[in-house]
Amino acid sequence: MHTPPLVMTRATKRFGAFTAVSDLSLTVPEGAIIGFLGPNGAGKSTSLRMALGVMQPDTGSISLFGKPPEIATLKRVGFLPEERGLYKKMTTRATIEHFARLKGLTARDARARAIELLDMSGLGEFKSTRISKLSKGMAQKVQILSTLAHRPDFLILDEPFSGLDPVNQQVLEDLIRAEHERGATILFSTHVMEHAERLCDRIVMMARGRKVFDGTLDDAFSSLGRGARIAVTEGFDLAGALAPSGFEAHRAPENGPGDAWRISLPRGAGAQDALRAAIEAGAPIVGFAPEEARLRDVFVSLVGEADAAALRESETGEAA
Amino acid sequence: MRNVYLIFRRDYLGYVKAWGFWLSLAAVPLFMLIGGTFAVFAAKSSPVRYYAVVEPASIFASAIEAEFVQDDEAVNQQARDLAATMDLPTEHQVALESTDAATPRKFVLVPAPASSIDALRPYLMGERLVSGPLGDKPLFAVFIPSTDGTSLEYWSDDVNVGTLRAVASNAMRRLSRQDALSEAGLGPDFLAEVDANALKVPAHRIRAVAEQTTTGSKVTMADKAPVYVAGGLAYFLWLMIFSIIQYLLMGTIEERSNKIFDTLLTSVKLTELLAGKLLAVFAVTSTMMVSWGLFAFGASLFATSQIPGGASLLSPFLAAFANPSIIMPGLISFLLGYVMYGMIFMALGSLCDTIQEAQTLLSPMMILLMLPMFAIFIAFQDPGSPIIDIASWIPIFTPFLLILRMPHNPPMWEIMAQMVIMAATALTILWLATKVYRAGAIHGAGIGDLGGVFKRMFKGKV
Repeated sequence: MHTPPLVMTRATKRFGAFTAVSDLSLTVPEGAIIGFLGPNGAGKSTSLRMALGVMQPDTGSISLFGKPPEIATLKRVGFLPEERGLYKKMTTRATIEHFARLKGLTARDARARAIELLDMSGLGEFKSTRISKLSKGMAQKVQILSTLAHRPDFLILDEPFSGLDPVNQQVLEDLIRAEHERGATILFSTHVMEHAERLCDRIVMMARGRKVFDGTLDDAFSSLGRGARIAVTEGFDLAGALAPSGFEAHRAPENGPGDAWRISLPRGAGAQDALRAAIEAGAPIVGFAPEEARLRDVFVSLVGEADAAALRESETGEAA
Repeated sequence: MRNVYLIFRRDYLGYVKAWGFWLSLAAVPLFMLIGGTFAVFAAKSSPVRYYAVVEPASIFASAIEAEFVQDDEAVNQQARDLAATMDLPTEHQVALESTDAATPRKFVLVPAPASSIDALRPYLMGERLVSGPLGDKPLFAVFIPSTDGTSLEYWSDDVNVGTLRAVASNAMRRLSRQDALSEAGLGPDFLAEVDANALKVPAHRIRAVAEQTTTGSKVTMADKAPVYVAGGLAYFLWLMIFSIIQYLLMGTIEERSNKIFDTLLTSVKLTELLAGKLLAVFAVTSTMMVSWGLFAFGASLFATSQIPGGASLLSPFLAAFANPSIIMPGLISFLLGYVMYGMIFMALGSLCDTIQEAQTLLSPMMILLMLPMFAIFIAFQDPGSPIIDIASWIPIFTPFLLILRMPHNPPMWEIMAQMVIMAATALTILWLATKVYRAGAIHGAGIGDLGGVFKRMFKGKV
């Protein structure tokens, strides 16, 4: 049986009176892609820094490939920090080469790998360009390549999509899938739920330093009650009309034609059943949409509206 | 060690590839060359000027001319005295003593073309020329006795050149003495003879009996060279630390502002990172200092090759430099001093986000470094001073003062004790600086929040 790349056991980290991470237990099994989700300030980066041994937990323990985090073990890890940074006066090739050598590659291998990665990612013509001359997105790409250069067994990516345009976000998604196919275990943090939906086979959600969910995507969606949206002519009481059929309806805030209502679907009932009940109740229907569950909704249902607002702020900030 | 090397390599190449490094490297030799050339050129190109003395009896003129001769003889005597302190082969000693060390005369006496200042005005203002051994030239200056006979007036269009007037003043003083001696019935050389008969006070170096039997007691350059070498080494250490302040303060700002620390600290240990960076700055400054030193050494070799037996001038210094009792404690003090000061500056640099923040630290750092500089001056003049004895036990002064005291053979227990104190201080600073660096690099503690720095240094795990 293989040793999990990362095991965090009841790890807590406080900064003065503020508890950044509280009692976090997390196991990252070999070969997994795990999304570490939550709004800014949820404790994701602190957890990852503890996982890497950059910070020590106040209580609890961290095990990286079965050992406390130490430089020898970290050679098997590729880490992309949230706050990006490279030596601005170094060339792209020298940068990747330098970080690859720090991770144990020989000078010759590091150089060959740097050239290979730059060619592969479309930056081949910028091999001798200084980082300061690159665009922000290109520099970020170079940093990601530096993280991958030594072919790590375990990739820890802190907000890897942050700052990338949609095209490069897709390129990075492809890169993460390729690394996963190569055999790497991947743990990445994000506050953009869509990336996790597309990439992960398991997610860990954090809010206010605490883990609020740890499971597969299916687990996440099944935890959320499904629903449907029905819009009726203004003034019609859909809640009263559907009550005899056993459907619960609440006014939804969305703008659109008529009054919008959200219908909670009881276990075993589908959106079509709710629509049928409304028609049979004589509701003047002007709109209908079955509700597709999203991770965002799961997060909202788990942490409540306050933390959901924080998540929205994170996403808005990112978009800006 | 590999990680230390890789950090060292990156930082070193980063510094060396900057054009400012090459500018600094070239600046010192260039300025030395320009300065030296300028001095030689200034001496050689200084024009020969004509002067005249308005007096029929030529008494004052003869006195001034005699004073010039006396001055030349004094310069030559100084050169002979210096040669006497060196262990030169006899033929070189003789050659050096016979060399005329005085610069060629720059003021030549010519007959006064007129006797009144009004008549002399056109000559002094360059409107008319006077004839002399070097052809026709303007009259640079003229001496005219005042009507009441109490002064010898100096007239010139350029009063900034004071040499001629100074020589004339000395000549008048000498003349006055001679007149007084003459009135007293004594010959003009009376005072010189009296001076010559005064008891000499030769310097002797006390040595162990056996040593004195072989080397004698005469004070030579070999006795003074160790002090100069130790002084040079202490000053070199000071200069090196002074020149690294900027490198070490600024060196971590790039990593802190570019947020590279987390990436680095998942690849190398903090101690490896610090060691690599400290070594890189040491290598950068060493590269500069060694380059400048080699240039200075080459220039010295060239200069001494122009003097008979000049190569022998360097031998006492080379011997002092090769003396293990000076150079070994010197090197140890040098390295410990570098680590002590280097770590302080690097730790402070790790708390700065911007160059402006680092610059605010430069002034207090400079002031801190001026204290050892004063101590070096005092110790060089008087190494046995009680204040130097006391200061040499204070760790921030020890690296410099121990080096300076070595030629004076301080007790062995003092050397050992001071080295132990220095090593203990260096280790303490290393420990504290690592904590400060960690607080700055990992927790982002800043120079504006020293309370936070201390809290992060000593409270909780990092």
